[in-house]
Amino acid sequence: MKRNALAVLVVTAALSVAANAGTVSGKVSGVSGESVVYVDAIAGKTFPAPSQQPVVDQKGLMFQPHLVVVQQGTTVEFLNSDSVAHNVFWISIGGNKKLGHNLGTWPKGEKRPFKFDNPGAVPLLCNVHPEMSGYIVVAPTPYFATSDKSGEYKIENVPDGSYTVTAWHEGAKNQSKPVTVAGDTKADFTLSK
Amino acid sequence: MRRRHWVSVLGVAALLSLVPSSSYAIPAFSRQYGTSCATCHVDFPKLNDFGKAFKDAGFKFPKDDETFIKIPPVMLGAPAQAEMWPHTIFPGTIPGMPQIGLRFNTFFQVVSANRNNFNLQHPGDPTMQPFIPRTDFQPGLFSIFMAGNFGSDIAFWVDDDISVGGANSNGGLGDGYLKFVNIGRFLKLPTDSLSFRVGQFELDLPFSQARTWNLSGWDIYDEANIGVLNGLSPQQNVNNGFAFSNAAQGVEFSGGHNYRGYHYSLAIVNQNTGGTPGSGVNVPPIVGFVSDSNFKDLYARFSYRFNLERDPASRNEIQAAGASGPRDHTYLNLGTFYFYGRSVQRFPGAESNAVTPAVITAREPFYGVGGDFSFNYRTFNLFGLYMAGHDQNLLPFTPTGGTLPTGFVGSRAATFSGGFLEADYLALPWVMGIMRWDIVKSTADQLNGVGADINNPPPSSFFSPFSSTRNRFTPGIQFLIHANIKTSFEYQIRPQQVVYDPTTGLRLTNPFRTNSVVAGLEWVY
Repeated sequence: MKRNALAVLVVTAALSVAANAGTVSGKVSGVSGESVVYVDAIAGKTFPAPSQQPVVDQKGLMFQPHLVVVQQGTTVEFLNSDSVAHNVFWISIGGNKKLGHNLGTWPKGEKRPFKFDNPGAVPLLCNVHPEMSGYIVVAPTPYFATSDKSGEYKIENVPDGSYTVTAWHEGAKNQSKPVTVAGDTKADFTLSK
Repeated sequence: MRRRHWVSVLGVAALLSLVPSSSYAIPAFSRQYGTSCATCHVDFPKLNDFGKAFKDAGFKFPKDDETFIKIPPVMLGAPAQAEMWPHTIFPGTIPGMPQIGLRFNTFFQVVSANRNNFNLQHPGDPTMQPFIPRTDFQPGLFSIFMAGNFGSDIAFWVDDDISVGGANSNGGLGDGYLKFVNIGRFLKLPTDSLSFRVGQFELDLPFSQARTWNLSGWDIYDEANIGVLNGLSPQQNVNNGFAFSNAAQGVEFSGGHNYRGYHYSLAIVNQNTGGTPGSGVNVPPIVGFVSDSNFKDLYARFSYRFNLERDPASRNEIQAAGASGPRDHTYLNLGTFYFYGRSVQRFPGAESNAVTPAVITAREPFYGVGGDFSFNYRTFNLFGLYMAGHDQNLLPFTPTGGTLPTGFVGSRAATFSGGFLEADYLALPWVMGIMRWDIVKSTADQLNGVGADINNPPPSSFFSPFSSTRNRFTPGIQFLIHANIKTSFEYQIRPQQVVYDPTTGLRLTNPFRTNSVVAGLEWVY
């Protein structure tokens, strides 16, 4: 009997959460190509780091994929698939140069992990091939999305509430705006260089 | 023996020596692979270790080349056609776009006031004043160059300074060759142990003059061996315009690598004792002399590079694995080279009866031999070369009572020696400081200009090195504005000279140096 009551409670709680979770969608304009939109840090809330470890590959003298979005606390693995020596370094995270780091050198087929504990955009560079560039955007919450090439994006399962939502695009200035999420919510951004 | 007419105005010599050498980086490869010049170059056109490996491989990535090419090559036959050979044309490829690069440079120079000393040769004669401006803008070279790979490890290279005449480092057609890389595979030899190239090319010099990163070339490479009969001893009768910077036409076998281990080359090339126009800083700087070309000269080089990384795995890689990224190895490269040729001179003479006119021919074997080293530690590179040239010296022999020579007698060989020592320090990836010392020791060079023999003055105006040893110190600095745009500065502390009176042979000046500053701006695209 007690068990049944507990089950009902859990289902009710889950349903109530689902009922209070919405989406944030819209369009990022003023720039071309993929953008990243994420919900900024929420005061008093922390989120467990995901166990999944995305891979950024160095292949054909390119970072592949060029843009990766991860949640704060995620470990990213850097793979070298080229038969030439590579390097990965970044001079800042979120503009903070104190968080610059150099991962060094490793041979073809090997990976080197790094855990991103600080939010912000991480411009990836290779000090032997200066034309190579990639980006990791470290979002402080699990609520983020990458837009399609036309700029359309959709962040799902965002609990209702008031947040700051930020749009990021390579080479453009970030734009943040307050967004009150209640069900499906629209938020458009216009970025400039 | 008639004295040859010397073109000996210092201005010509000075300006010629200031004309910067050709240098190349290959933007076509940047386009083909979608990568920066910095992938292969340290302060272009100086190659880093990867660039050396790229060149060794026949202008390809040493491994998995096809995975890096952004513009796929055009197939000139399906690969499977190879199995049909010889009943079909062996399939090859051409680059997916023309592998063309262009280059332009321009210069500005400032020459010290000592240049006016040369006016003393002809006081009061405005038509004979070797005027050298204090400052001068000089147009540079507009060059086109092409390089790449046709598949089957057949590499090609053509470069030409289309805005000037000359050859190789002095303009005109530079290198133009096909290189069949790793042909040793057909003989089951170790990989890369045997390659073959044919065409016109710069000899496999320890440090390329045609593709030097300095504004001015290394003096010893331009040294010819020319000595004339004069009133002083030792008598010299050599007219060998060959210089190591000259373009060579022929074939070359080579093997090994330039980024580790052994490297060798053996070239068989046309005799070239006529030199090439403007090739030398010898006296005179321009030699127009025709030699027979029946003999084929030989050039051989061997070097061994010791990569000094502690980690054996890193030591054998193309680039060393540094703590903060791949970098050039710490290495010591030791090498040696040898050139053997024959110089030919023909003179009006007489048969042994000393009466019947005849052409007498002096065949004077010559050789140049030397050694070189290069030490690299991180971004500091110290390297140098020393060599000696040796020409057999046959003096015309005129019998007693005769008026024309009937043959030759051996005499002390005409020799020269010298080299250079250079230190390059890459202070930043875009700033390279250079300190350099060039030395050439040539008794012939001094004697050629000497007028101290008052009883036998030369028939034309002339200048002379002050001594048989010419030292030049050349500090410099170079800045990469972009990876393909560079500005360079050199301060040339030039060798001591003196000016003689052309009629009396008396010295008119104390020893002096005509120092100069040269600034260069070049870009490739």
